[in-house]
Amino acid sequence: MIQLFNVSKTYGGVTPALIDITFSIKKGEFIFLTGPSGAGKTTLLKILFGAEVFDRGQVLVHGMNIGKIPERRLYSLRRKIGVVFQDYKLLARKSVFENVAFAQEVIGADRKRIRYKTWEALKNVGLTHKKDFFPPQLSGGEQQRVAIARALVNSPRVILADEPTGNLDPEISLEILKLFERTKQKGVTIIFATHNQEMIRSRNHRVVVLNRGMLVSQ
Amino acid sequence: MLNTIQTTFSNIKSNKQTFLVSIATITVAFSILGLFLVIFVNLNTFLMTWSKQVQLIVYLEDKITGDQKQGLEKLISINSDVESMTFVSKEAAWQGFKNTFSGNSEVIEDLEFNPLPSSYSLKFKPADDRFLRIRQFADLLSKRPGVESLEYGERWLGAFEKFMVFIRIFLLAVGSLLAIGLTLIISNTIKLSYYSRQDEIELMLLIGATPRYVKIPFLIEGLLQGLTGGIAALALIKAIQLYIRYQFQGSLESIARGIEFQYIPQSMILTVLATSVFIGWLGSFISIRQFLHVERK
Ligand SMILES: Nc1ncnc2c1ncn2[C@@H]1O[C@H](COP(=O)(O)OP(=O)(O)OP(=O)(O)O)[C@@H](O)[C@H]1O
Ligand SMILES: [Mg+2]
Repeated sequence: MIQLFNVSKTYGGVTPALIDITFSIKKGEFIFLTGPSGAGKTTLLKILFGAEVFDRGQVLVHGMNIGKIPERRLYSLRRKIGVVFQDYKLLARKSVFENVAFAQEVIGADRKRIRYKTWEALKNVGLTHKKDFFPPQLSGGEQQRVAIARALVNSPRVILADEPTGNLDPEISLEILKLFERTKQKGVTIIFATHNQEMIRSRNHRVVVLNRGMLVSQ
Repeated sequence: MLNTIQTTFSNIKSNKQTFLVSIATITVAFSILGLFLVIFVNLNTFLMTWSKQVQLIVYLEDKITGDQKQGLEKLISINSDVESMTFVSKEAAWQGFKNTFSGNSEVIEDLEFNPLPSSYSLKFKPADDRFLRIRQFADLLSKRPGVESLEYGERWLGAFEKFMVFIRIFLLAVGSLLAIGLTLIISNTIKLSYYSRQDEIELMLLIGATPRYVKIPFLIEGLLQGLTGGIAALALIKAIQLYIRYQFQGSLESIARGIEFQYIPQSMILTVLATSVFIGWLGSFISIRQFLHVERK
């Protein structure tokens, strides 16, 4: 369960990035988050996993009041959430396998489990054959799939995917979409931010539209 | 745990040069401090060896009365600094004198009266300001009736003792300054180590690592720097000490029998190591506190 009440956020400048946003997402729901560039999609996702503060309003994720969690306890929120970052945030010094395994390591999983889960996550995005490559040796789409594998590897309760198919061809995009839908079947809540109107129309999921920081429709 | 150690070493590897420079700096700083310590320790032993022989001799007038003698003895016995008191009578002194100079017996036996005074010879317990206490007590005794004169060993030892007090303060001051400097150097090294992996650490926090998990490798890194620097410095000082001992043992022996150039005592070695580890920990602690605040903008 994710709930936002009258959330507003302004970065340094004058124009707000989010204005009075109110909506809620049920547990196990799949929603598309869309809107033109600069609408505030990334900002909204960042607020949900505590990477960005907001000025006004209330945000609840799985019963946790985001604005009230002290910095040193943010990890307990973040462990419930898998994030596909718009800029991937892959570590160039680590191999594909290590990048995915990293998400397991930092939460203290044991070695056996790390190996098994990492392999499984790479299989899901079709990248096992590139496991020993380093991110700079991969195409943009391949890097994006590594980022997706890393977001899924910890079996999170919530997935925040920021343009996860922005760099993928239609065929692989569909594969990834199906992967997320299978994950949803396991009761995982998914917010899928995308510009791809065709993809949105091809499915029957709920669509939340932002424009210039305002909620246009849901 | 294994993971933490791996992370620590990959941190160090990606920042090798700064790490080594930092250790070298710590080594040099601790060596300076350690050399002062060695000098201090050796001067101190030297002082102790000499001052063991120091005694206060109270010469009595021939016409001293029994009451005056008793008063003196009482005064001496209530002074807690005094370790032992021996009375040497006129006759015993004369006998001793004659034994010492038996070679010139004709001259001495010609004397028909005993020219030597009777005396008390006092030994003092070891104390840092022993000479000050001896001097004060000597002043007190010299004003007593029946006391002819006083004599206490080599007066220059008193000045030497003052000098040791000065050295002690000096060591403390130099030590504190070096400790502050080292803490800053280590905190800077850790900061550089952090910047070289900033992207990784920010990501770790974003995907659910606890702040503690992120911090510990840096704390270990700082600790390792301090420890390695401390051990290297101790080894360096040991080498210098051995060199001095083999080169100059002869001339030391000629100054005072049985004195040899020593290393820092064991308890101080542990103190030096504990201090170096603590400084390493403190240095990284300071910089970690600064950079973990960037977690949520
Ligand atoms: N760190 C920042 N500092 C200042 N302004 C920012 C920052 N991040 C985003 N903004 C501004 O906030 C607004 C919303 O940005 P956001 O990244 O949320 O948009 P978006 O919907 O994700 O766009 P896109 O589809 O291009 O990814 C934009 O006007 C952007 O310039
Ligand atoms: Mg965005």
